[in-house]
Amino acid sequence: MSSGGIDRKRVLFSWAMLAPFLALFVVFVVYPLIQSAFLAANQTFGPGTRTFVGTKNFELLLSDPVFWKSIRNTFIYAMGSLFIQLPIAFLLALALNSPKLKGRGIYRLIFFSPQLMGLVFVSILGALAFEKRAGLINQALDAARINDLLVWLTGNDAWLEPDWLQQHVMATLILISLWLYVGFNMIYFLAALQSVDKSLMEAAEIDGAGPWGKLRHVVFPSVKPVATFVILLSMIGSLQLFELPYILLESSGGPDNKGLTIVMYLYQNGFDLGDLGFASAIGWVLALILIGLALVQVKLTRAQEVSS
Amino acid sequence: MQRLSNAILALRGLSSGVWVIASLFVLSLILVLIRQPSTQGDLQFWVFSPEHAEMYEPLIESHDETHGVKLDMSIMSIAAIQSRMMSGFFGGLPTADLIEVEKAVAPQAFMGPIDAIGFHDLTDLLAEEGLLAELNEPSLSPWSVDGRVFGLPHDVHPVMLAYRADITEAAGIDLSQAETWEEYFAMLRPLMQDGNSDGRIDHTPLSFWYTNQDLIETLMLQGDGQLFTPTGEPVIASDRNAHLLATLVSWCVGPDRTAIDVNEWSAAGHQEKVEGLAIGYIAPDWMCSIWKMHVPGLEGKLKLMPLPAFEPGGRRTSVRGGTMLGIPKTTAQFDRAWDYAKLLYTSPEVARQLYREVDIISPVRSLWDDPVYNEPDPFFMGQRKGRMYIELAPEIPLRPSSPYNKQAAIDVRDAALNLADYANRNGVYSAEELMPESSRLLERVQSQVERRMRRNAFAAQDLANAEGSDE
Repeated sequence: MSSGGIDRKRVLFSWAMLAPFLALFVVFVVYPLIQSAFLAANQTFGPGTRTFVGTKNFELLLSDPVFWKSIRNTFIYAMGSLFIQLPIAFLLALALNSPKLKGRGIYRLIFFSPQLMGLVFVSILGALAFEKRAGLINQALDAARINDLLVWLTGNDAWLEPDWLQQHVMATLILISLWLYVGFNMIYFLAALQSVDKSLMEAAEIDGAGPWGKLRHVVFPSVKPVATFVILLSMIGSLQLFELPYILLESSGGPDNKGLTIVMYLYQNGFDLGDLGFASAIGWVLALILIGLALVQVKLTRAQEVSS
Repeated sequence: MQRLSNAILALRGLSSGVWVIASLFVLSLILVLIRQPSTQGDLQFWVFSPEHAEMYEPLIESHDETHGVKLDMSIMSIAAIQSRMMSGFFGGLPTADLIEVEKAVAPQAFMGPIDAIGFHDLTDLLAEEGLLAELNEPSLSPWSVDGRVFGLPHDVHPVMLAYRADITEAAGIDLSQAETWEEYFAMLRPLMQDGNSDGRIDHTPLSFWYTNQDLIETLMLQGDGQLFTPTGEPVIASDRNAHLLATLVSWCVGPDRTAIDVNEWSAAGHQEKVEGLAIGYIAPDWMCSIWKMHVPGLEGKLKLMPLPAFEPGGRRTSVRGGTMLGIPKTTAQFDRAWDYAKLLYTSPEVARQLYREVDIISPVRSLWDDPVYNEPDPFFMGQRKGRMYIELAPEIPLRPSSPYNKQAAIDVRDAALNLADYANRNGVYSAEELMPESSRLLERVQSQVERRMRRNAFAAQDLANAEGSDE
């Protein structure tokens, strides 16, 4: 048998193996993608209606103050994830990586457990914890007299009994998501820390490096690729935020749309108002933002590969 | 032979990962093939409430036996029904033969031109069979578009005021004499004291807050506030709405506020109800069963009365929530589906059970004479609660079926929030003082809703038609 024949068979075999995936990919990804691009150039108002509007949906979207508010809210949440959640996750990972700490397995399980419970359950518990009068947070603030201090500092009586989900929507969302995701990100950092080359640490010690020196010159460079990945993953996840505010704010954007995210706005337009075209346009803008972020990740990863 | 040995060699060359995947594939294939397909009934029925399903089951069974038909009932969440129903309607695909639709979801099914609505128009059939005259008229409004009815109403959901009669009677206050909200608050003022010196008023007259969109909508409807005309035109910035919003917010602000936000659903809120933190609670008929189930500590402490009116002689009730039964156009068995619909929604057995199990009164007026509605309810100090709700049923306000209503109601809630903020910042707490700001905020809401409607070519056309028909 000729080598060409074997090659052809191998190619056919490869395609046969790929076929189930490709079929699903085409049906559930490629076709909806094409359809959504087509929809974005149309307007609908419930079933049985469709009219071609060209780029009007995008024009309307860019001049829509509610859309910009949803972008702003989503980026505030993303920044909260980036600058609060990830540093805490890294610090926790550092602590749990220390061999001196007893019961590390238990702590890991505790910090990771919100992920096991699931987002809906955590959201409901979060709503209970942030309840106005009987909630754990306000009870704790009251017991520690922190609310009195906040009233004294701000001169605002509302701090006596803060209604978190009405007055401080984004802060509450960030705090609840902290509980939900900090353990998840901690696992990535922990894995990265455990793969730090021990000989490098020993060499640094011999060279007289202290804990900060080791952290700066050995640990940080070693976990950098994982950190880049986690940051990008966290940013992309934040930009797709939907379930948490949807459950906590009872399917609305919260008071004055203070908790409205891009995906929630997409959902509202597509499913509450029946305009799948406008919703598709929102989806495409979000997709472009995510593609931009993915390109940044590719560039950063390549730069890291080159430098290493 | 050579080919076979080549094939074996090729297979031997595969990694263990490939073998694991291949084994899983074969195993799943076998499981799928040997799985017995579930027997499907002749008709499908989607229900979101397990309580409803439980009530329907015996009737469906006996109907199935008598008529040799099988109706499959599937219980799924409101969100699942919403997405499956809308996907079916958008894609022109079969859904179920009968669908129970909740009030918040129904307007989405009514979007677009009337001919494109996914449910059968039942108006003529209802008229022919005399049901149109039999049903409580205002209960048809949420399921109607341009005067055409697309669903059978499951309920009326009139609203009364439930109050802590044990506390008021101990204080010698006869609240049943209060005809207006003003009188109601004035009568309860003596109870607004911090008797236990914990820094909080022990009994605030009303459980209501400007952040509760449902309650704002309920009370605005009571006061004849409307967000849309029957033809779908937004009329949010009316003087009436501004007055109502200012009045509602005035209850929640200032040192003498008369309302407090007791959570309607949480355990903490239920505990506060038992403690009597608020005296009065807005109570649609279905809320009675919620309290019986989740706040048994209230048994024998509550009484019901018609809502106090906003002005003397004004409406003493409102409406909150609702469900309809629709027959999608994709059904191949409309007649059979219609038979089931009538059986489940107009039969005395279901109506009786609906009241006994979940305190909901039927929208079928001929069933209102049923003695079940006269039974004293020990939870409400022996009041004949069913009869009280029925007396108010014809008075419930009309509700629009506009798909823009949900977002508009959210915007009005935001206006209430901003108005409360304005009141607290400026130290103005009376409805009169809040009126100008209330009007300004509602005008902003009106323009937001109009912008939303004009953005869509179809909705803009509807809006233009509605404006044209008004001129």
